[in-house]
Amino acid sequence: MTKNDEQALIQVNDLKKSFGENEVLKGINGNIQTGQVICVIGPSGSGKSTFLRCLNMLEQPTSGQIIFDGKDLTKFTHKEVATLGERIGMVFQSFNLFPNMTVLDNMKLAPKKVKHMRDQEATEVSLKLLYRVGLKEKANVYPSSLSGGQAQRVAMARALAMNPQVMLFDEPTSALDPEMVGEVLEVMQELANEGMTMVVVTHEMGFAKKVADKVWFMADGYIQEKNTPDQLFDHPENERTKEFINKIINEDE
Amino acid sequence: MGKSKLKTVMQLLLVVVIVGMGSLLARRPAHADDQSLNRVKQSGTLTVGTAPDYPPFEFQVNKGGNQEDVGMDIDIAKQIAKNLHVKLKIKNMSFESLLVAVQSGKIDMAIGGINPTPERKQNADFSKIYYSGGQDFLINKNDAGQIKNKNSLKGKKVGTQTGTLQQSLAKKDIPNAHVVGMDKTPDLVLALKTHKVAAVGVEKPVAQAYVANDHDLKAIDSGYKLNKNDVGTAIAFKKGNTSLVNAVNQSIDQIHKKNLIPQYLKDAGKHMKVNTNNTSMWHYWKYFATGVEYTLIISVVSVFFGIILGIILVLMRLSKYKFLSWPSIAYTEFVRGTPMMVQVLFVYFGLGVLVNIPALTAGIIAVSLNSGAYVSEIIRGGINAVDKGQSEASRSLGLSKKDMMASVILPQAFKNIWPALGNEFITIIKDSSIVSIIGVTEIVYELNIMRADTYRGVAPIAVAMILYFILSFSLSRVLNYFERRMNHD
Ligand SMILES: Nc1ncnc2c1ncn2[C@@H]1O[C@H](COP(=O)(O)OP(=O)(O)OP(=O)(O)O)[C@@H](O)[C@H]1O
Ligand SMILES: [Mg+2]
Repeated sequence: MTKNDEQALIQVNDLKKSFGENEVLKGINGNIQTGQVICVIGPSGSGKSTFLRCLNMLEQPTSGQIIFDGKDLTKFTHKEVATLGERIGMVFQSFNLFPNMTVLDNMKLAPKKVKHMRDQEATEVSLKLLYRVGLKEKANVYPSSLSGGQAQRVAMARALAMNPQVMLFDEPTSALDPEMVGEVLEVMQELANEGMTMVVVTHEMGFAKKVADKVWFMADGYIQEKNTPDQLFDHPENERTKEFINKIINEDE
Repeated sequence: MGKSKLKTVMQLLLVVVIVGMGSLLARRPAHADDQSLNRVKQSGTLTVGTAPDYPPFEFQVNKGGNQEDVGMDIDIAKQIAKNLHVKLKIKNMSFESLLVAVQSGKIDMAIGGINPTPERKQNADFSKIYYSGGQDFLINKNDAGQIKNKNSLKGKKVGTQTGTLQQSLAKKDIPNAHVVGMDKTPDLVLALKTHKVAAVGVEKPVAQAYVANDHDLKAIDSGYKLNKNDVGTAIAFKKGNTSLVNAVNQSIDQIHKKNLIPQYLKDAGKHMKVNTNNTSMWHYWKYFATGVEYTLIISVVSVFFGIILGIILVLMRLSKYKFLSWPSIAYTEFVRGTPMMVQVLFVYFGLGVLVNIPALTAGIIAVSLNSGAYVSEIIRGGINAVDKGQSEASRSLGLSKKDMMASVILPQAFKNIWPALGNEFITIIKDSSIVSIIGVTEIVYELNIMRADTYRGVAPIAVAMILYFILSFSLSRVLNYFERRMNHD
């Protein structure tokens, strides 16, 4: 083990995941340091979401290890997996706000039920976070009246209300109208600047270039290349990476 | 005789119920020390079952707004209770349920124009024959010129109650007759008046009662050759209750010696006059009020418990443990695969062997058990329709399965299924009519009593229809209102 490995907050070792016959992850390795922002890119269907969902055990890996804070998540019991909710936040492509409660109640639910926070404390925490994502005035509306960008910012605030150590993002902007992408990325960038550890699956190459410490390129069930954004985008080493980067550049032009 | 109904369907249903109770009943020694008479005397009450929709044998009168059972059979029961020095308690139910009620010990005896056929004697003991009136035909007065007796009915349509003596007589003794079977006498009379049948075979006192109350009708003697012992009516008892049978036989002897039967029939006639003096539906509002009251009680309480049961069943079904999910699946499939009528009979008579449940409670239990199965399927559909992202978001936040269900999934599921639940409620209002079979005084039960009492075949049905419609329509309005209010989000 290198020195880096010892300091890693999350250490992924030979992670495999199959759905029936279909082996989606064929052996993922990688370390995520505290405070790092990792962007995961790759073609559609390459297993990016599956990888992310394994990190908080929404998906049970077939084999391999995920060492988080010194403990292997893949060996966790149901009870222990439930405690991950307080430590790993997740933001989904489709927001997944609870439509049957107000924005404030969406945010207060888990802190109260899982962390057993008092109502008043949960309200204070939630309002502070809503203020931070610029939506304080939306506290008492129902999610159906929010725009996509607002809904995604609320979803982020809801995850942050649990005060997690790590935030996972699965294509947080790909369900949004283009004019709303900016407001969501902005909040994510602020979060990164404050030192949050983040794993972001994204197609927003601009964001990856600007914010990521490391970009992981994923294809065919493996991480093909890990590098700084500058290196990976401008001087890709792996053939598959080159191909992918070229394709995006051509699309953008 | 008149009401010796053996309708095949009913027989089948009763067989199912009896088979269901089989093992329980089998453990009870049928002919052990017979304490039946002592039990009645010790309890101080003689509980008699009857089906009061058969004037002049038994029917109901509207006394100061209250319904009261009267008629020849009721007078006989009163006399028996008096001779035994006990109080008389009358339990009303449908005719089909009387013999099962005797067998399961819900009542001490059943009286109701019951003909002691050989088949029935296998399942119950009978008293002596207390009445044997003879057979008549009811015809339209206008036809009196052509129809004189059974011989004039060759090749014509003859109405009888299904499975009765009259039916077998008509089939046997009228050449080429087309015998039409119906369930209830008022329906047959209606068929007669609308010329769907040429004559209706009924028992003599019944024919006379109709003629006295409807001047378009005429009663003629049937002309059947009858053996008095085959066609009389007797009282039914649980098998082996010999001491009680003997005591009742003494009372019947006494009634015959004093020649009380003609007097009883005359009194019954007077009561019928009172009934038919004022056959306006307004006069009978109390019957309908009772019917609506009970229909509502059954529906509301059953929906309440049905939803609770439905939630329990669906949570069991969604559990990862087989010992929870499997019984839930089995229960739901079983309930959905059996008619509610059989379920009602089973709860009342089958469970009745273990615990004595009153008819209303039994009806509510049966309807709730039934509804629970359907509600659980509705809720399951509603849960499946909730977006998968909702449970993923809940899990990613660390919510327990219980909190996720209670706060996130079920509230959304209920919003999805609100219209389906409303339909289930409306279905229950309509289907609750089935519990009339065990004598719960809901709308259909009251309707049948009233039709028998007033000799008006159609008007009560129309009123009942309107009542059902008002109930379900206002309910669906109320549900719509709440649905709209729930749609804020
Ligand atoms: N629950 C599941 N059951 C079966 N197969 C699945 C399941 N989830 C994902 N897969 C399969 O795994 C493969 C990878 O899917 P995944 O969603 O991880 O890809 P992705 O890289 O996130 O793609 P995209 O960019 O389109 O989101 C796909 O072939 C998909 O069909
Ligand atoms: Mg994906």
